[in-house]
Amino acid sequence: MPDPLKFNSDAEAFQQKRLFRFRLYFAYGFVLLLFVFLISRMAHLQWYNYERYHGLAEGNRISIETLPPTRGKIYDRNHILLADNQPVYALSMIREKMDDIHAFELALMNLLEGSDPEKIEAYFKKFRQLNRSKAYTLPFSVSEEQAARFSVMSYKFPGVTLTARLKRVYPHKSTAVHALGYVGRINVKELKKLNEQEYLGTNIIGKAGIERFYEDRLHGSPGVQQIETNARGRILRKLETTPATPGEDIHLTLDIELQKYAESLFKDKVGSIIALDPQNGEILAFASMPTFDPNLFVDGIDQKNYSRLLNDPHRPFINRAINGQYPPGSTIKPFVALGAIEKDYISPTKKIYDPGYFDYAGHRYRDWKRTGHGLIDLNAAIAQSCDTYFYELSLTMGVDAIHDAMSPFGFGEKTNIDIIGESKGILPSQQWKMETKGKPWYRGETIISSIGQGYNLTTPLQLAKATAILANRGKIIQPHLLKDELKDSSSSQIAIKKISNWDSVIQGMVDVMHGKKGTARRHGKGLPFKVAGKTGTAQVFGLNQGKYNADELAKRLHDHSLFIGFAPVDNPKIAVAVIVENGGSGSKTAAPMAINLMKHYLEEKLTGISTQTESKQ
Amino acid sequence: MKLKNIQPQQVYRHNKGLLNALHIDGWLLLGLLLLLSISVAIVYSASGGDEAVTVRHVIRIGIALVLMVGFAQIPPNIIYIFTPWLFAAGILMLIAVILFGDVGKGAQRWLDLGVAKFQPSELMKLVLPITVAWLFAHSQFPPSYKRLFSGAIIIAFTASLIVVQPDLGTSLLIAMSGLFVLFFAGLPWKVILAAITATVASAPIAWHFMHAYQKQRVLTFLNPESDPLGSGYHIIQSKIAIGSGGIEGKGFLGSTQAHLDFLPESTTDFIFSVLSEEFGLLGVITLLLLYSAVIARGLYIASQAQDNFTRLIAASLSMTLFVYIFVNIGMVSGLLPVVGLPLPLISYGGSSMITLMISFGLLMSIHTHKRLLTD
Repeated sequence: MPDPLKFNSDAEAFQQKRLFRFRLYFAYGFVLLLFVFLISRMAHLQWYNYERYHGLAEGNRISIETLPPTRGKIYDRNHILLADNQPVYALSMIREKMDDIHAFELALMNLLEGSDPEKIEAYFKKFRQLNRSKAYTLPFSVSEEQAARFSVMSYKFPGVTLTARLKRVYPHKSTAVHALGYVGRINVKELKKLNEQEYLGTNIIGKAGIERFYEDRLHGSPGVQQIETNARGRILRKLETTPATPGEDIHLTLDIELQKYAESLFKDKVGSIIALDPQNGEILAFASMPTFDPNLFVDGIDQKNYSRLLNDPHRPFINRAINGQYPPGSTIKPFVALGAIEKDYISPTKKIYDPGYFDYAGHRYRDWKRTGHGLIDLNAAIAQSCDTYFYELSLTMGVDAIHDAMSPFGFGEKTNIDIIGESKGILPSQQWKMETKGKPWYRGETIISSIGQGYNLTTPLQLAKATAILANRGKIIQPHLLKDELKDSSSSQIAIKKISNWDSVIQGMVDVMHGKKGTARRHGKGLPFKVAGKTGTAQVFGLNQGKYNADELAKRLHDHSLFIGFAPVDNPKIAVAVIVENGGSGSKTAAPMAINLMKHYLEEKLTGISTQTESKQ
Repeated sequence: MKLKNIQPQQVYRHNKGLLNALHIDGWLLLGLLLLLSISVAIVYSASGGDEAVTVRHVIRIGIALVLMVGFAQIPPNIIYIFTPWLFAAGILMLIAVILFGDVGKGAQRWLDLGVAKFQPSELMKLVLPITVAWLFAHSQFPPSYKRLFSGAIIIAFTASLIVVQPDLGTSLLIAMSGLFVLFFAGLPWKVILAAITATVASAPIAWHFMHAYQKQRVLTFLNPESDPLGSGYHIIQSKIAIGSGGIEGKGFLGSTQAHLDFLPESTTDFIFSVLSEEFGLLGVITLLLLYSAVIARGLYIASQAQDNFTRLIAASLSMTLFVYIFVNIGMVSGLLPVVGLPLPLISYGGSSMITLMISFGLLMSIHTHKRLLTD
């Protein structure tokens, strides 16, 4: 029986089988060839390019996150917090990783109930046009409770992350702002100077004061965290973590309680008080009035507040303590007097007659006391602030001798306090005038220089430093705000031939307060300790004070009120310099402020009772 | 076509052992079981250790194995008898898909039969090569041009019904299985060369008729980095998975690319990338050796087949398996454009696994239903 599936003849079958088998071999050869081709492709990917793809795979799953360091806290000398960090929450979104932007928008409106939904809508409208792969932080603050509510449902919203960060907070608000400074957002100029590695994950930097000067210590170093994420950016687990090194906590020499008191003394007045410990240069109070609230700057100040502060005629941004340059007035008399007796231009006991004026080269230089002081010696000249005595003395000395007498006290030089941007002031000399004005010195200028007018300009801090050196009887100190730093300056001492010369000058200053005719005797009465002081009244008119032109004219013409002093005289614990702009005479305005500050500080210290230490935070 | 009487008692060999009794080819079964075991392991890993998915996969493999054994029982001459009817039914269903098909993923590929959705193109993967083999069953090798031409018409007609679904990838693969029959029947080399030349030349015309997404796939293939977040993303991530596996791989369950969701469709079309990532180049070579052994066994069965019908079917089905393997691996490794195609015997997924196992049932049937040469 013939079969359709069988070949007709063996020969034919053999031939067909041969053809078929050849094609089978060919096909299988083709299979093997292409398999070898596939294997070579795999070898290319897995062997030749292994490093590259391995790196890409790791890069895929591992994302690096920087952990910004915690900024160091700032305390006062009694461990009271001046700058703290407070947790705040924010939400950020990456568009390309989000599933449903609209759903999140609705959820957010629900979450932030009470905030304006239109504002949220407007932001999202803008957000949809922004770079899809970048993270944007929502400009709505999230409370701790809202943050907790969001984290419960965060799994529904890939691409949205809740971040907690620490915000700088100044609990004492405007107090001591000019010493403490503040932090703010890093600007372009700062960015160029920064070590970017140190500022990864941070957008805050110290802008002024201590916050700026000790930026390196306060900032710390960022940490790095490797996070394993999936393709949707969800964090699966944390791999290696290099923790951030927190910034150093620092203690200031300031006594915040004293500082508050110092600032309160000004009421509405403008000026500066510096109080320091003459023994070591620790600044106890550093006031520049008016002040402003540094908290406004932390997250970037809004335009309204900024222009209000900027347009304030009293210029609260100016750090008067180190940048305010004022004619020192009669406060320089003790220094001039010391130079005079030291170099034997005059004997302390030599008397000069003061008719109430001094004539020189056809010009009459008046004493503040029109009727004159009569016959007057060095002690009385200081105690009563006799101008005529110094007019005459200055002509004997010459400007350069005055310069040389005052220069060791730090006039005309920066004090190198730990705040950036200090002004130098001016301590004139013949050389100085030639260099800066290109003109020779006139002797008439020496006369007004001797009472701290003319070219003389000092900063309140310079005055305080000089006062402290005087209190120390020549031991030069370095004013500073950082407590732990022992800036040892005990080695430098103003050399003096006759130690008793210190006593002569200091006695004059004691008599300012306690003498019968002392200019500030009103304020020296009934004090439980002995004060050495010197009043000053600086003429404003005719001086280059262009910065303050916005102030109303009448007020502007008032004299600046100055006072320097230290107490207790036998063992000085506090040295103070006060300047009240347009405050009138030194005895009227500045002296009582300084005395009250000393009293406030010393009474506490002398009785050993601290009213403040219990409020440690 | 005359149908002759066949005596069943003449066809069967004497049975020896259980495998013979069940018409199972031991070597083929061994190769398949090895591949399927790998499949279970990789699906488990690629699904992120999802036991439900793995169990479903194992059940499906079980069903497929039962179907394979079932089809191994059908003697080839019975299939021969039903071939024209199967072909007619297949064509009708393809037309039905075009008219009433369910739209899934932008293409009409499914026929909803009420109880289950059915993909007629899957059936045609088997029916078309059988039909073309049927056509050449009584032909001389090499066949006449007239017969070759009728074979080509059948192939083109079937493929065109699938192209309009639209499913370019499947239609090309099905056409391929038919063309293999022509090749093994002895299609002259000059015709083959001419056809290849014509195909290359007509590529711009084919481009014109492509759908936008198909064009996009080709463009992406040519330069995956051009669209790293769009269609190029899959290929880039797949290459990263494969390349990062290195020589020895990251170890079982060690695929970070799949487990962290970077790799799309990691249990189906891109399962090879997971395997390469976890077992490296050595794993890939092992897999390809297993595949080539299975293909070799299929081609050996073809070489031992006693008539044109069965030898053409066996050779074509073996080579089709190869094409599927090559296209899938070529695709995930960035050598070929992305066409939605699973890796044979490894990928998770129902219909293609069933179809494949039925084709292995047919191979086994061909090998075990030999007539007694001594009659």
